[in-house]
Amino acid sequence: MAEREQADVILGVDVGGTFTDAVVITDGQVFASKSASTPEDQSVGALTAASEALALAGTDAAQVLVFAHGMTVATNALLEARVADAALVATRGFADLVEIGRQNRPSLYRLEDAPAAALIPPERRFELDERMGPNGLIKAPSIEDLDRVVEAIKQSGVGSVAVCLLHADRFPEHEIALGNRLRERLGRQVHVSLSHEVVGTFREYERAATTEVDAALSPLLSSYLSRLGGRCAGKGLPEPLIMQSSGGLTNLETASRHAALAVLSGPAGGAAAAAMISEAAGEPDLLCFDMGGTSCDVCVIEAGRARETGGRSIAGRPLALPMVDIETVGAGGGSIAWRDAGGALRVGPQSAGAEPGPACYGKGGILPTVTDAHLSLGRLGDRPQLAGGIHLDREAGRAAISALAEELGIDDEVCAAGILKVADTEMVRALRVMTVERGLDPADFALLAFGGAGPLHAASIADELGIERVLVPADGGVFSALGLAAAERRQDEIRTVLMSEEETSPTRLAELIGAADEVSWDIRYRGQSFELPVSTTSTDPKRLRELFEASHEARYGYRDSEAPIELVTVRRRHVTPGPQISLVEQDFPPKNGPESIDLGQATLFLPEGWSASGDRAGLIRMTRVKSL
Amino acid sequence: MALSGLDPIRIQVAAGAFASICEEMGAALIRSAHSANIKERRDCSAAIFDPSGEMVMQAEHIPVHLGSMPASVRAVIDREHRQGVSWFLNDPYAGGTHLPDITVVTPAFDATGSLIGFAANRAHHADVGGSRPGSMPADSTRLSDEGVVISPRVLDEASITEVTSRMRQPAQRRADLRAQIAANRLGTTRLAGLADRRGNSDLHLAMAEVIEYAEVRTRALIKEMPDGEHSAQDVLEGRLGDIRLAVTATVTGDSIRFDFSDSSGPDPGNLNCPLAVTESACYFAVRVLTDPDIPASAGAYRPIEVIAPKGSLLNAQAPSAVVAGNVETSSRVADICLMAFGRAAGQGTMNNLTLGNDRFTYYETMGGGQAASPGSAGPSAVHVAMSNTLNTPIEAMEIEFPLLAHEYSVRRDSGGGGQHRGGEGLVREIEALEPMSFALLTERRRHRPPGASGGGAGKCGRNLLSRATQAGYTELEPKDSGDLETGDRLRIETPGGGGFGNG
Repeated sequence: MAEREQADVILGVDVGGTFTDAVVITDGQVFASKSASTPEDQSVGALTAASEALALAGTDAAQVLVFAHGMTVATNALLEARVADAALVATRGFADLVEIGRQNRPSLYRLEDAPAAALIPPERRFELDERMGPNGLIKAPSIEDLDRVVEAIKQSGVGSVAVCLLHADRFPEHEIALGNRLRERLGRQVHVSLSHEVVGTFREYERAATTEVDAALSPLLSSYLSRLGGRCAGKGLPEPLIMQSSGGLTNLETASRHAALAVLSGPAGGAAAAAMISEAAGEPDLLCFDMGGTSCDVCVIEAGRARETGGRSIAGRPLALPMVDIETVGAGGGSIAWRDAGGALRVGPQSAGAEPGPACYGKGGILPTVTDAHLSLGRLGDRPQLAGGIHLDREAGRAAISALAEELGIDDEVCAAGILKVADTEMVRALRVMTVERGLDPADFALLAFGGAGPLHAASIADELGIERVLVPADGGVFSALGLAAAERRQDEIRTVLMSEEETSPTRLAELIGAADEVSWDIRYRGQSFELPVSTTSTDPKRLRELFEASHEARYGYRDSEAPIELVTVRRRHVTPGPQISLVEQDFPPKNGPESIDLGQATLFLPEGWSASGDRAGLIRMTRVKSL
Repeated sequence: MALSGLDPIRIQVAAGAFASICEEMGAALIRSAHSANIKERRDCSAAIFDPSGEMVMQAEHIPVHLGSMPASVRAVIDREHRQGVSWFLNDPYAGGTHLPDITVVTPAFDATGSLIGFAANRAHHADVGGSRPGSMPADSTRLSDEGVVISPRVLDEASITEVTSRMRQPAQRRADLRAQIAANRLGTTRLAGLADRRGNSDLHLAMAEVIEYAEVRTRALIKEMPDGEHSAQDVLEGRLGDIRLAVTATVTGDSIRFDFSDSSGPDPGNLNCPLAVTESACYFAVRVLTDPDIPASAGAYRPIEVIAPKGSLLNAQAPSAVVAGNVETSSRVADICLMAFGRAAGQGTMNNLTLGNDRFTYYETMGGGQAASPGSAGPSAVHVAMSNTLNTPIEAMEIEFPLLAHEYSVRRDSGGGGQHRGGEGLVREIEALEPMSFALLTERRRHRPPGASGGGAGKCGRNLLSRATQAGYTELEPKDSGDLETGDRLRIETPGGGGFGNG
């Protein structure tokens, strides 16, 4: 493993929906600045925030050793399906893989709901007459056919090509041949994504869909990063490191080549921050709860590390890549409260969003939201405005709650408290299912709450989940940027190996592990269609079997010592640790609930029975005084 | 309609808590089960019941389980219940649906030992000892051809061993049953926790309120539908010829009756449905026509009456075979219920294909065209009605089985025309790399899925066989079986959905 860096000045810049946050760390001291995000070109706001933070720290660009950057360019493009025109090449007979998906429908009863449409339409899908099978070559493509496909793509005028051929994860020769020809004939200005390079694991739809996303987003991300790189060079800043969905940083060139790796760049910065906080606060296991205006992101820190997943769906599309395991729940401060046909009080899934926003924003919204309920119960204290300079129209907020209370035939105060109770119920339900699905018990964790609305709900949610300890960053904006600055650099390689136990030997395992710092194997009993991950750099096949069987027994309640095992996938990771950052204790006088505490960007609500005090790393620690 | 004294906040908090329990049970089951059917295809459901056996809440992953869980609890409600003693069953004529679906029911008690409700879950097991591997035979004529029949009985180590020893892969069956027990244990623990925190009587009140609330919401929406009689007819494609399906749906005020008295008598094959399966299809149609977010509880079904003569196709009696009733007939019953209300029909089949020999079994269902809705086109190449399971990836199939795929594509121009087009079917063509048998259970091979309000019909599906020794394809029957030699190919073209409105 590479040495930990001794950095003098470290810069982290995190681009969010509304604000871009920058932190500069020098001599253990943190200087933060905030500026408006610039959605047209996020690099403008990023550089503005960076310059301000450097000025605050009394230093300049030339002193910066590391510049870490998290952004939402790829995420936003994917969510809005605003992507480059791309073409797809598939094995003959299989061009529609990206359209068929796994053939399930997104909603059981809303028959009109269609799965997310393929990013590449049928007229830009081309088929190559070739075939690999599970044991290798069945039919090689002819030179004529390769040329035919390359010519058709040239004619289509696309700037990007996705190639996904069957079984290419283990037999990539045809993808490589086509890729070389495409690059020769179309030049470097056309981006080429080969499925075995992007994903490297079997299951063709997930691999094809991920490669499709990579091809459709890479031209966009690459032009953004080249603008950003140019601006940095102009200012004398070092080339930025980019946060990947996995929670590790990578260099500009790798990030430009594979946009699919950066789709969760923004949220992954939050997870990296949570991991750093976990160490600083001496809380190795954290349930992280980031509640904003329209949704709430949840992730888990276990033993000081953000929990990862091998893949998940984003905007209805699977991405079969390692990423921070973040789940999104559709509940936020803007969630609208309403009365349903059965007379019950409901909260969400509709949200007032930022425009018009909650009624109390005074921007024309008249429907009562979670934020209006907080306001009318006095939980927002007497602050005149919210983060972003939004002036609070208390009258409009109360009127919206009043109208719903009348419709339900209850008091205003009961209605407002009810809205919060129902919103909490929805979130607790999502948190419980998320933890059970991962085999975890929320009561074993401390809660880390951030985001504009997180600290308002932290205590009540902790009560519901049986959690005793809650951490809240005193400044949520600085928090994510700080995580970026402290994150480690990573490079992941994933390959299907599909190897039987007899084929394994210490030499073979050592070859596959190579120089990786961390190695994880996906292993199964032969005949199973699901694998279990086993992390070890051991080259002893017996050790691998033992670790797999112990994990299988823990999860399924039995082991089968007679059954042969198979090594399906190897995941290799090269790691360079991030800089060591030591932070000073938060200056925060101890308080006892009930009290609303203004944190600047957010409000913390400390109910009766809870106390709060300052903690390390810019944290406020809440503790339950009375047991439930 | 207002609630009669129900608290608008308490109901929603209680409904959320009960839903959370069911979802947690489902998550635990999927996480700890062993067979791909449960883990990957998610062919399972979880529910909680009050002490009288009324369903309080259900989390279903496929709609065919909607109405059929209450029958399972009813089947054991009068037995003597003890802490930690679960029941299990799969008998379609005593609380089950078809034999691969095994249901486990566990009573829940509070700290003082009073019965506070039940947790139940159902999972589709990969095999239950039927005449063919996979226990989904195309040619069964009696229930006993389809596998081991489990009448409601106590689930303990002895009964697990006795039952699973008569099934294929008994170790996997045991693991799946243990996962089912563990999921119920989680459910009963959570219920006991609620009783502990809220008190027993409060818990019962909350259960009753959630059930009543679902009823109030369902009735409010049915009331918005115009009163009157709607009917629809169609046919099922039986082995010996067409089988009549007919429904008269009558909306009266805030209730609906589905009367299937004009449908056919029993099928000599396996297209028969126990009444619980017919009810599931009706509940599916009502959820589509009203609001899918109404809690799936007993209250949601109180306004719905289902009539099917005892012993007929849609209210099967022992010892009729039922395995295709659950997968095929149920989808077509849902179709005609929706057609009665002016909706177009989707592909109406799951296109069940089983391939196998002594060494392996491969079971696949295939998507097709969804019906166009009054406001939008029908999605293509998806599961349409009572199922929603995932496909087997081509690469996974080829690694595991002696099969080679030649095509998996969208079947262009198979959806019906109209203002809103029906969805497209798909094509899957597979070659046998060694001798094996095949079985097909499919519908809409002879009769096209109709459109509505002037929309065109979707194309019929086709089951095609190509022999290695002969050029060209021959067309197979909707329900067919036979042998494949090395190099023979099956090509399945699934139906398109019906269109909606004049194009």
